[in-house]
Amino acid sequence: MLRVGNPIGDMKEKTDVLQGTLALMVLKTLDVLGSLHGYGIARRIEQISGDLLTVNQGTLYPVLLKLEQEGSIASEWGASENNRKARFYRLTRDGRKQLRAETRGWEQTAAIIGRFFAVKAEDLE
Amino acid sequence: MRALRRFFKRLTSWATRRQDEERLRSEIEEHLALQAAENVRAGLSHDEARRQALLKFGAVEAMKEGYRDERSLPFLETLVQDIRYALRHLRNAPAFTTTTILMLALGIGATTSIFTLVHAVLLKSLAVANPAELYRLGKESRCCYWGGYSQEKEFSLVSYDLYKHFRDNTKGFSELAAFSAGEPLFGVRRSGRGGTSQSYPGEFVSGNYFTMFGVRAYAGRALAAEDDQPGAPPVAVMSYRLWQEKYGAEPSVIGGVFNLNDKPFTVVGITPPSFFGDTLRDNPPDFFLPLNTEPFVLSDSDLFTIDLNWLNLIGRIRPGAGPASIEAEMRVELKQWLRSHWGDMSANERAKFPKQTLFLRPGGAGITAMREEYEHWLQILMMVSGFVLLIVCANLANLMLLRGLERRRQTSLSMALGAQAPRIVRQSLTESLLLAFLGGAAGLLIAFAGTRFILHFAFPKVGNMAGIPIQASPSLPVLLFALGVSLITGLAFGLAPAWIATRVDPIEALRGDNRSTARAGSLPRKTLVVFQAALSLVLLSASGLLTAALHRLETQDFGFNQSRRIVANIDPRLAGDRSNQLTVLYRRLHDSLSSLPGVSGVALCIYSPFGGNNWGSGILVDGHPAPRPNEDNFAFWDRVTPAYFDVIGNPILRGRAISEQDTATSPHVAVINEAFARKFFKNEDPIGKHFGQHGIRSRREYEIVGIAKDARYLDFMLDQPIAPAFFLPESQHDFLPAPKSKEANPGSHFLHDIVIATKPGVTLSNAQIRGAIASVDPNLPVISIRSLREQVAFQFRQQRLIAQLTSFFGVLSLVLSCIGLYGVTAYNAGRRTSEIGVRMALGADRGQVIALILQGAFALIIFGLLIGLPLSLAAGRFLGHQLYGLNPYHPAVTLIAVMALALSALAASLIPALRASWISPSEALRAE
Repeated sequence: MLRVGNPIGDMKEKTDVLQGTLALMVLKTLDVLGSLHGYGIARRIEQISGDLLTVNQGTLYPVLLKLEQEGSIASEWGASENNRKARFYRLTRDGRKQLRAETRGWEQTAAIIGRFFAVKAEDLE
Repeated sequence: MRALRRFFKRLTSWATRRQDEERLRSEIEEHLALQAAENVRAGLSHDEARRQALLKFGAVEAMKEGYRDERSLPFLETLVQDIRYALRHLRNAPAFTTTTILMLALGIGATTSIFTLVHAVLLKSLAVANPAELYRLGKESRCCYWGGYSQEKEFSLVSYDLYKHFRDNTKGFSELAAFSAGEPLFGVRRSGRGGTSQSYPGEFVSGNYFTMFGVRAYAGRALAAEDDQPGAPPVAVMSYRLWQEKYGAEPSVIGGVFNLNDKPFTVVGITPPSFFGDTLRDNPPDFFLPLNTEPFVLSDSDLFTIDLNWLNLIGRIRPGAGPASIEAEMRVELKQWLRSHWGDMSANERAKFPKQTLFLRPGGAGITAMREEYEHWLQILMMVSGFVLLIVCANLANLMLLRGLERRRQTSLSMALGAQAPRIVRQSLTESLLLAFLGGAAGLLIAFAGTRFILHFAFPKVGNMAGIPIQASPSLPVLLFALGVSLITGLAFGLAPAWIATRVDPIEALRGDNRSTARAGSLPRKTLVVFQAALSLVLLSASGLLTAALHRLETQDFGFNQSRRIVANIDPRLAGDRSNQLTVLYRRLHDSLSSLPGVSGVALCIYSPFGGNNWGSGILVDGHPAPRPNEDNFAFWDRVTPAYFDVIGNPILRGRAISEQDTATSPHVAVINEAFARKFFKNEDPIGKHFGQHGIRSRREYEIVGIAKDARYLDFMLDQPIAPAFFLPESQHDFLPAPKSKEANPGSHFLHDIVIATKPGVTLSNAQIRGAIASVDPNLPVISIRSLREQVAFQFRQQRLIAQLTSFFGVLSLVLSCIGLYGVTAYNAGRRTSEIGVRMALGADRGQVIALILQGAFALIIFGLLIGLPLSLAAGRFLGHQLYGLNPYHPAVTLIAVMALALSALAASLIPALRASWISPSEALRAE
């Protein structure tokens, strides 16, 4: 089980990488679903990753802030399904570009790693 | 790009943090509500649904912290926190804060003040366009007239003819301008308005002078090449400062006619405020006149004298031209020009011809006479103020260490609670830096006042002259310097104490008394005291040496009488050309002044002792072999009216003085001084011998009729024996030997100084003197009136100022060191209370206790002396020339410095020692 923990803990380097992954998940979620509030994003990530990824939902908010400061997403106030005031996030043009670039990078990495896993010992002889 | 955008967002979000906190709070609330609602739908009870939602969300506070870190710049927030914390600390210790800021202000202020001068004199360029393109002729600046076709070391002054030769042939310069090296005064009167004329400095410049500098007129127009033609209408450019101060920026000045030395000039323009000419000096020109007006305004014109060098050159090089190739080109041109005057050259000059050369140097700072004169002084002052700053740093480091000790429990408690060492160092450093910047800000005020003070005393404003164009108010480089010094100072006195503060064991917080490590911090503190003592000794010896040198200068045998003598400075040129009536004018001035009550004698001369002027030439003695090419046959000379020697109080040792019997028609005579006799007549009696100063054919020009006691006239070469000099009567005019036969040095008949001797007990007012002079010629401006004693003292003002500044800094450093010593001794004595109690209980008496404490203090001072003595000797050597021949190994000065340090140290350590000895043993032991 993968656990994304407190970002200011001692395992800073590791969480940085994981936070990057989390950011990518946020971007993809918003790409697919359009405008969404924080809870919705968290639920969606949970649903898709199933039980493989348990996120402390609170961890999401610093990531959202970082993405917003970078200009990848934008936010505005709106009303949630139970008619409460909620903050809705949506992808910006910059964010879409970033998502495309990172998707490509991720696919390449996955392909390379996949090829390494496919190789058997006799293939190298 | 994205990182940059984020950085700015973070920077600005720091300001909106309250709003952001609110947003986060409501987002979390919303999140939890949605999750709880979902949990309720899944069948959980209301409370359980909320609990599960919170669990799933994770630690809220930790998340908030993470959010805050992302939101803004944590470094900035900590900094603000640290500054607030430090300010609170400083407010709680007002005595400490005030003392510290005051000390810092003194240290930083002194350094910044000297730097202001260093910047203005040594570093700054002229306020002209692209100063880096300017090159000047000459490695060192010369004053003011050099005759002949050869110059020692380098050709740095040129005649008008040679200037034109360079200007017309050197291709590498886009403009090459010439200007007079002397600083002529002009008698100025606005035409058509009444009043007496006033004297202002001016300068003759070539027509392209302003074009070359790229300086445009502030109002009206600058000079142009057409103005500098023979027969062009005489025009002048006035300085902004004169226009403002004297004429209230009146627009009608431009185009107005002004009489300069009684000759009409039209003022066509005003210079920009920041432009003070080509040379930083204490009397910048108020009038710029074209070179070709020089014969018009001065009766003894130099413009067309081919072998009189009186012009400086500065040129702007063409883009792409190399100064080295221009220099080579000009060397060839110089040789060509000299060769074309081969027939006019003396044998001596022909012999020196192969050695004649010239140098081009960067000219962006103009003629840097002040740089050459003051560089070493400024270095000395910079060192002295730097030492003071070091002592201040050492003292403050000591105070900070003490503060660290007092705060020991607090620090160890913080560390026990988890504070990390870097954070504690940072906090402590923030406090030091804050103090340093506050001290720096106060230091700027002190620097401003200090610079004004120094400028006022080093370059006193004379009459209505401009004064030195140096601003005391801090410029940008000065501000940056002060900021840098504050930063370095803060680090210097804050770093070690901050680091030492973290060297505490957290366990100490739990102990009752922190007695166990009582001496832990005492080694660095002792080292600092030793360091301060050493530096103080250096400053004390330096100030002692400078004071001793000044005393020696001031109390030397000047050879003339300083008391009851008044010198009035005039310039007959300023009243217009009356050169044929000069002898009459002097006679009438003499009679008018002599008739004042209480006046015992009046005489005139070109320059009186320490008047700041001099004339000199090469001498040929009749009957002696002609001097070899490199033989020094130089002597200074002066021209005087009858009874001069009596009036100035210079005794005639043999023969007679210059008197009424020397007239225009009687044989030409001279009085020489002892040095002249020693130099030119080693084993002969000079009386009755002849010598001349205008070449080999003039060797019978003067007959020596008397020998005067050596008297010091020159305000330079003060560390050398008095130079050879001779005195000529004003009434006799010299002529060049045939075939030229024209008058030689007609300008020497314009006498500048009137010396007035008064009877004992008589005071003569300036108004009386001015009145007596005006009654002879109301157009003759009196430039200054002062006593001969003032005139002599005036020449030593800079030495005196520096000796006084150094002494002030020396005493300051001594006081600071004593405070440091007192602090360490008192602290250590306090720490040893129980030890002293035990000793006293075991039978030690008061004397022994005092000795015990003093021993500790004096060990430090002796260490300081051991380090400081060799440093003082080095400092003495560094002072070198500035001691005017005083031996820097001066045992009396060293002894006094050592005694001053020892006595002050005794006073500083005696107080804690006495206090320690008054402790009653039972009390001391109870303190355990």
